Amino acid sequence: MQQAVTEQDATAPPAPADLAPCPAPLGAPCPTPLGAPDPSPLLLFEQASKWYGSVLALNQVTLELTGGITGLVGANGAGKSTLLRLATGQLRPTLGRVSVRGTDAWDWRARRLVGYCPDVDAFYEDMTGRAFVGVMARLCGYDRREARRRTEAVLERVGMADRADRRVAGYSKGMRQRIKLAQALLHDPALLVLDEPLSGIDPIGRQELLELFQALAGQGKCLLISSHELEALEKLTNHVVIMARGRVAAVGTLAQIRGLLDDHPVSVRIDVDAARAVARRLLDLPDVLAVEVDDAGLVVKARHPKRVFAAVGRVLIEEHAEVRRLEPLDESAHAILGYLLGGSGRT
Amino acid sequence: MPAQTDTLLRYRPWRGTLRGPGWAAAAMARASVTLLARRRLYWGLFALVLLVFFFFFYGQYLVVWITTQTADDTVLIGGVKVPVANFTKFLDRLALNGTDHTFGNFIWFEGYVVVILLALAGSVLVGNDFHHGSLPFYLAKPIGRWHYVLGKCLGIGIVINLATTVPAVALWVEAGLLYDWQTYYFDNLDLLAGVLGYGLVLTVTLSLLVVATAVWVRQTVPMVMVWMGLFVLLRLLAGWLVDGLKADPEWRLIDLWNDLYLVGLWCLQADPATVRPQPQPAYWQAAVVVAGVCGACAGYLRRRVQAVEIIG
Repeated sequence: MQQAVTEQDATAPPAPADLAPCPAPLGAPCPTPLGAPDPSPLLLFEQASKWYGSVLALNQVTLELTGGITGLVGANGAGKSTLLRLATGQLRPTLGRVSVRGTDAWDWRARRLVGYCPDVDAFYEDMTGRAFVGVMARLCGYDRREARRRTEAVLERVGMADRADRRVAGYSKGMRQRIKLAQALLHDPALLVLDEPLSGIDPIGRQELLELFQALAGQGKCLLISSHELEALEKLTNHVVIMARGRVAAVGTLAQIRGLLDDHPVSVRIDVDAARAVARRLLDLPDVLAVEVDDAGLVVKARHPKRVFAAVGRVLIEEHAEVRRLEPLDESAHAILGYLLGGSGRT
Repeated sequence: MPAQTDTLLRYRPWRGTLRGPGWAAAAMARASVTLLARRRLYWGLFALVLLVFFFFFYGQYLVVWITTQTADDTVLIGGVKVPVANFTKFLDRLALNGTDHTFGNFIWFEGYVVVILLALAGSVLVGNDFHHGSLPFYLAKPIGRWHYVLGKCLGIGIVINLATTVPAVALWVEAGLLYDWQTYYFDNLDLLAGVLGYGLVLTVTLSLLVVATAVWVRQTVPMVMVWMGLFVLLRLLAGWLVDGLKADPEWRLIDLWNDLYLVGLWCLQADPATVRPQPQPAYWQAAVVVAGVCGACAGYLRRRVQAVEIIG
């Protein structure tokens, strides 16, 4: 398994300079409960380890998030949930430190900056959705009036305003997900930690939530999303944290991680006429390891994708080849996970 | 749901000051009481609480009325003249006369309902959080572990006081109106303080005990069984040991409700010799046991709320 830890992705939406740990106001800078805008990372894991008895769930994880959307992927038991719980102060690391804007994540003050949408949907079934979100707003520290106003705003935002007076017991899985999301958005947190937020949501609702996540990231929020649904995650971001056996196996964009997987050359499908002639030229390139020719075109296996793609372009132009299709076959999150974790890459 | 990128959630800027987590505990307590109020079973149990209260309320009124209005009257029963005052003799045991034992007895009898009420409330308000995993919702908000415990204890404390202290205070007010209120209220302020003290002891002890046992056993049936063991079996055992086998009166200390009763009577400044049944352990011994139970519950909760277990 490759150990490829990189710095925060350059393509992820950067955190704006005024991304303050603001507990409430939107659209305007505000004094923060933790002081003035802080240059410290929004979420920082420093050699954090977590033991459950004799089981090591998280092993010396070092991670830094400053903004944008980051996907958290990995097989079951890889340590994703433990990482999220440490980030949200649900657990305390056995070793190392987890901090939010410099404040220990275990400290309740740090949670003014964090919104958490857990994977469990165990509510008080007798409560209505509106009452539940209202109670959560009061727990955030708002007075009655502000709590009511924020409750209405988030319910509207997640599309539950017209259904929030029904008892939670009668909610579908998707409605429960939306209520969970609503309570996480209440205090306008700088860091949103979402555990399987798309689970049980229908395709239309899923698209709406993806747009909401993108809108939040566009406003400078930092989103850490754990999901097994890699296709949906790839639509949101290409910046991922891949976990395996309690360790961070890789951090970065999918392309960056893919580029570091030297053991697994990139496969590129090129459907082109005159495939044999092109294949012959491509085999002369130093980074190309193999070329397979078939009826539709050819598949190139090569190292250093950036150099190869430039060279392939030149060859295709020189050969006056008509390209019908050009597609990397193994740059998807699925493929990368498969290479990193072994097996099919399914999570 | 339209994508909205200009302003998040359509909030207008809010420049208020966030309240501390202590307020969050109060909000949690309110939500807890509201949750209980949604269940018919609790209204049924509160009806029993009210039944006991009205028994004492009208009993107190009846005793005063008979002694003042028909003190020397007699009625013929089988040709025998019986003084009317004799009809209330059976009530003497309850001391329905606005004294220390009136309030002690009242809270003692309310205890039978309160124990059932709390066993069910504990599983609903606390056990479910652990059993179904809804705790992350609370703990992801800006409150500490102890604020969560405080919020739940407050909610349970409200239930306890609604069933014991508040009606006991109402009895004290009624007693003042039945007797000479100008002297009763001023002369018996220590009784009011005693009632409030008794209520405080009950609130602290029982709320900690409810939360601790609910965290431990989580589900309703085991919770009820544990509470019946604590408050029924141990009571029967204590009575059998002390009254039946003539063992040391200190054996009554295993009966927690009796210990709370003794501490309550201490607050009410009742004479230890008047406590029934006799013999009883000393007040201070009961207080030590109650303090020990509180300490044990707090210690257990401290261990449970620190880390892994609170999630699992």
